Amino acid sequence: MKAKIMMIDDDPDFIAGIRAILERADYDVNVAYNPKDGFQALQSQSYDLLLLDIMMGRGAEGVALARKIRKDPRLREIPVLIITGVREQIAFLFPGQAVHPNFVDVDELVEKPIEPNLLLEKVEALLKASEEKKLQA
Amino acid sequence: MQFMDDMSRILIIDDEEVVLDSCSQILEGSGHLIQTAPDGATGLKLVDTFRPDLVFIDLKMPGMPGMEVLEKINALDSTIVTVVITGFATVGSAVEAMKKGAYDFLPKPFTPEEFRLITRRSLERRRLIQETITLRREKEMLREHFAHIVSHELKAPLGAVQQNLFALEFELSDVLNEGQKEKVRRLKIRIEDMLKLINSWLRVISVDINKLKENFARISVMASISKALENVEPLAARKNIEIVTFFSNVMNPIYGDELSLSEAFVNILGNAIKYSQDGGKINLKVEEVENEILISVEDSGIGISPEDISHIFEGFYRGKDVQTAIVGHGIGLAVSRQIIEAHDGSITVESELGKGSTFVIRLPAVKTAPDPESDIEPVGMAKS
Repeated sequence: MKAKIMMIDDDPDFIAGIRAILERADYDVNVAYNPKDGFQALQSQSYDLLLLDIMMGRGAEGVALARKIRKDPRLREIPVLIITGVREQIAFLFPGQAVHPNFVDVDELVEKPIEPNLLLEKVEALLKASEEKKLQA
Repeated sequence: MQFMDDMSRILIIDDEEVVLDSCSQILEGSGHLIQTAPDGATGLKLVDTFRPDLVFIDLKMPGMPGMEVLEKINALDSTIVTVVITGFATVGSAVEAMKKGAYDFLPKPFTPEEFRLITRRSLERRRLIQETITLRREKEMLREHFAHIVSHELKAPLGAVQQNLFALEFELSDVLNEGQKEKVRRLKIRIEDMLKLINSWLRVISVDINKLKENFARISVMASISKALENVEPLAARKNIEIVTFFSNVMNPIYGDELSLSEAFVNILGNAIKYSQDGGKINLKVEEVENEILISVEDSGIGISPEDISHIFEGFYRGKDVQTAIVGHGIGLAVSRQIIEAHDGSITVESELGKGSTFVIRLPAVKTAPDPESDIEPVGMAKS
């Protein structure tokens, strides 16, 4: 069965660039262009993975959304891949070194733009990690 | 009231009524607002309510001494220009007053012309002080504004462009011929270079030395060095450059931030690699000499010309002789210097065109002697 991915980002062009890669790799992708619609979409049906932007709207609205997700017992099980452009706020990133912001149990942070192979690799890894966690439980 | 706000406000504090009267008379018709006070306490109250630009203070007054009034005004608002009025015998105290922040002194007796002149000069001084403050504030706002524009109006759109290019190439991977793939590759590289440049601008704008110091802890400089080496390894391998390391005798830790220090080392090692010929060699030496950790990075690359060498740590600078093929932006060294100086260290360079460059970084070592007090107040923290 195709894994279902939700993507929330306020830049439609950026979403298009990510969506095309994921759909070609045969994922089922749904998108929202602001945190409010995104949260509604997450609540209305279940997803296997969330791709989340940090800087949306007037500031770090992605972080606020991540906190809301963390408080929700069902939603916090969804693994989250944070795709962000704000390098200056996450200090100096060493390439190849994984960053886990720990917004939820299974998450990772990558920088915009992201190469197709790296994107697919991260998506697969997060889906796998979340699957393993479910089996353990 | 707008009209009154444009006028300069002058306060004269003197216990002799005749001085107050004559000074007020001299400045009459000059367009300034003048208030007078017969003693220090009254004067200080007026500083608060009248908000003067310039205050004349008689040093010899009954009650609160002029020197104390001066100090209090300075503490209240150091941008207020103060001039002390002194008798003949008190030139020594005039000098003392100037050490305490007075702008000038006016010996008694003085002519109206002398008084007008010193008033004009002092108000000019006040105008310059205010202008400097405004400019500094504007510069700070410009910096923040610029950072905002760079990240929102430049970086985000360029990121979206690159992301779509990635997607396009990915979708067309079975269709594109070699020539087309090459064009896509060029596009990607140029955009990536632009994004790198934008990131380094943002880094230079947003590096906050004081914030950096908040995270300072005892760290081993070797940890930062090995992190940096790991980071530049792929770059060195691509140009077949060998980094030869000499690590000796580093016993003591330093007081600092591991990640930002390794960022500085990455910049410096990265430069050494960038400006070296393929197959070259870089010597990295780390040693402890008399309470200092010395890190030197020696390359045998293209070197830096004497005209360029004094500018390389300034930011937004790159030598004009450097081949354009090299992706450099002259910002890494400025950031590195800021980081190293935040650690109470220094960075210097010696170079010869065509022979290579040697960068030397010095960082103060922290004594690890079992002195209980050194734990409470580590070296480098006390001064700020």
